[in-house]
Amino acid sequence: MKTVRKTLVSLLILAISFSLILAGCSSKESGGSKSSGTKDGEKVVIDFWTFWGSETRRPIIEKIIDDFNKSQDKIEVKHTYLPWGDVWTKNLASIAAGNPADLIINDINAVGHRAQNNQNTNLAKYLEQDPEVKDRFYPELYNASLYEGDPYALPFNTDTRLMFWNKDMFEEAGLDPNTPPKTWAELEEMGKKLDVKKGDKYERIGYLPNQGIGADVWMINADGKGYWDFDAKKAIINDETNVEALTWMKNYYDYYGDKTINSFKAEFGEQTADPFVAGKLAITTDNANFFTKIRDYGDGMNFGVAPLPAMEEGSGNSSWGGGFVAEIPKGAKHPDEAWEFLKYLTDVQAQEYWAVKNFDVVANKEAAEKAAGSAEFSEEGKMVYSEAAENMKQTLLTPTPNEAPDYINLIQPEIESVLLGKKSPKEGLDAAQKAVEELVKSNKK
Amino acid sequence: MERIVINKPEITKKYKKQKASSSLQRKEGLQGYLFIAPWIIGFLFFMAGPLLFSLYGSFTNFNITSKMDFIGLDNFKKMFTNDPIIWLSLKNTLYFVVISVPLTTAGAVMLAVLLNQGIKGMRVFRTIFYLPAVLSGVGVYLLWMQLLSPSSGLVNTLLGFVGIDGPAWLTDPSWTKNALIFMKMWSVGGGMLLYLASLQGVSQSLYEAAEIDGATSFRKFFHITLPMITPVIFFDLVTSTIGAFQIFQEAYVMSESGDGGPANSLVFFNLHMWNKAFEVFDMGYAMAMSWVLFIIILVLTVFNLKIAPRWVHYEGEDRK
Repeated sequence: MKTVRKTLVSLLILAISFSLILAGCSSKESGGSKSSGTKDGEKVVIDFWTFWGSETRRPIIEKIIDDFNKSQDKIEVKHTYLPWGDVWTKNLASIAAGNPADLIINDINAVGHRAQNNQNTNLAKYLEQDPEVKDRFYPELYNASLYEGDPYALPFNTDTRLMFWNKDMFEEAGLDPNTPPKTWAELEEMGKKLDVKKGDKYERIGYLPNQGIGADVWMINADGKGYWDFDAKKAIINDETNVEALTWMKNYYDYYGDKTINSFKAEFGEQTADPFVAGKLAITTDNANFFTKIRDYGDGMNFGVAPLPAMEEGSGNSSWGGGFVAEIPKGAKHPDEAWEFLKYLTDVQAQEYWAVKNFDVVANKEAAEKAAGSAEFSEEGKMVYSEAAENMKQTLLTPTPNEAPDYINLIQPEIESVLLGKKSPKEGLDAAQKAVEELVKSNKK
Repeated sequence: MERIVINKPEITKKYKKQKASSSLQRKEGLQGYLFIAPWIIGFLFFMAGPLLFSLYGSFTNFNITSKMDFIGLDNFKKMFTNDPIIWLSLKNTLYFVVISVPLTTAGAVMLAVLLNQGIKGMRVFRTIFYLPAVLSGVGVYLLWMQLLSPSSGLVNTLLGFVGIDGPAWLTDPSWTKNALIFMKMWSVGGGMLLYLASLQGVSQSLYEAAEIDGATSFRKFFHITLPMITPVIFFDLVTSTIGAFQIFQEAYVMSESGDGGPANSLVFFNLHMWNKAFEVFDMGYAMAMSWVLFIIILVLTVFNLKIAPRWVHYEGEDRK
């Protein structure tokens, strides 16, 4: 009798645990099938993945989606928010499983890499239907979305590095507050004049050459070319201007020394206060939307904004940017409908709305220019945004070369060793060049 | 612990003899299997499958979406001949293991001994020292990033009081790994709890006997306490070595943009593997890396088990 009861009890427990497991599975499954596009009456439901879940961004993207849904009665876009750290990994897994989203926001620099690996959809046939779409964008952004001449994504938003300076500090140091530095030499000269030292500690620093941007941006700024020659498809890490740019930066860096810079950097980590906003730095170089930090925490700071200074007069003020694209994952169930929404997403209305609400530089040229004059911006906001829109003409992107997708991992440590004084700029960049060439060779095999 | 002590063949023999083939026992056996079935099914579906897949994958150029060709030992060849970062990452990982494991083990033992004293309010102290082990993950790392900030962080401020000019912990490549080890020392409470339990199991009569013979507390510690807790030390050593080899999160969160900087000083084996897998989708290569790490850990663990009889002392066991 006892054993029978025991058996019954154990079977019962087992049954319960199994049903719990099954319940877990089935609820997952139903969630899964809902998220892929299914016909909902007449309308086709498409699933749109973004990582914009914050209090500020989520309502903005959802308003755009809502506007689109109301504008027609054939397609219903459903927004799925996935956290930044998860969204692209999940995208990969869902592509491999054959059940991806219909549209996703992804990194602009790796469009080609994803295309090569069959992760996104060739949009050439859609652009043949709507050839005018391609002219909406800043050409540099559109070009970054091409793989072997065909578009695999459309650019959504971008950014560009600008120089911000504190006008009050300029005046205090006896400099003309309306004349920012135009060359590297001027930047260094003015920067040093703006330093405030107490004993051997800096209370304020004029400018730090690796604040907000790194050596890579100065290399692009020097001659419009960074680590990679996209025409010749080869690494040019140790070319002359790159060595020159790193040497300049290293010398400027040494003027303050490791200790000063390290403690300065650590004190103003990315997440916490910014030294420029906190009044510890007179000039900074940062993204255009750095303005929102000045606006929100700058306590009415009197500042100006200009392009990055040129290496020398006439060498150009090239800047660097990145951004995000919207693309149709490979194997999406409703690519045609996704394309319709993709067009809407990159059209003037949606782009201008995004630009103004987020203070974000958008990929659509006309929308960016319209946003620059938006009545919703303050005078300062208009000033920064129009400077940013203007700067897009000289902003370059650095798409990941398919020949060496993780080349940055080989270059960055060398640059750090140079800045730490372990190697000379030439030695460091030569070593990086060699390492990347090796990587390219081994990837070719 | 006991698992290591128990002599398996003997026990199963005994069990078998007793069992004969009574139907009751068979039923119980069946029930046992039914009870572990959920785990076994879970293991087969969620662990064994992926494990075997990654073993196969390590011989391919799998990149999740487009390629999966058998390429033999190419991944392993590349690892040993054409990936400078992997050696650096192994060096970093070994440094971390070699320094942090003995330090945290010794730290946990010492803490446990201190917290085993019979003074008033000991429970409160025990709780306080155990707390960091409860806290975990990214929150703790972010907290430590603030504590270790070179000029305004609490650590360097305190060092400043005693006249020491503290290093730029997380920004100076020669200090970053030490900074992580230092941080690990803060959470030795988990190991401490194990030691505390085993310390309390040490028979009081041994100490009494030693006292009668006139042993100092120093000798009592080295000749009674320490030998009596060696099984726990052994267990802690093995598990924390395995854990230390797998260090990832700390470096991922605490280095700038998660790349293991500055100057690659925080590129650990698992971080490099993660980069290969999820940054450039070189999944086959990453799988091969994970098997190499598995073999390294396996060899070390077997080595640990082999030398254990030389220093691990089990109560009631004859010294050979």
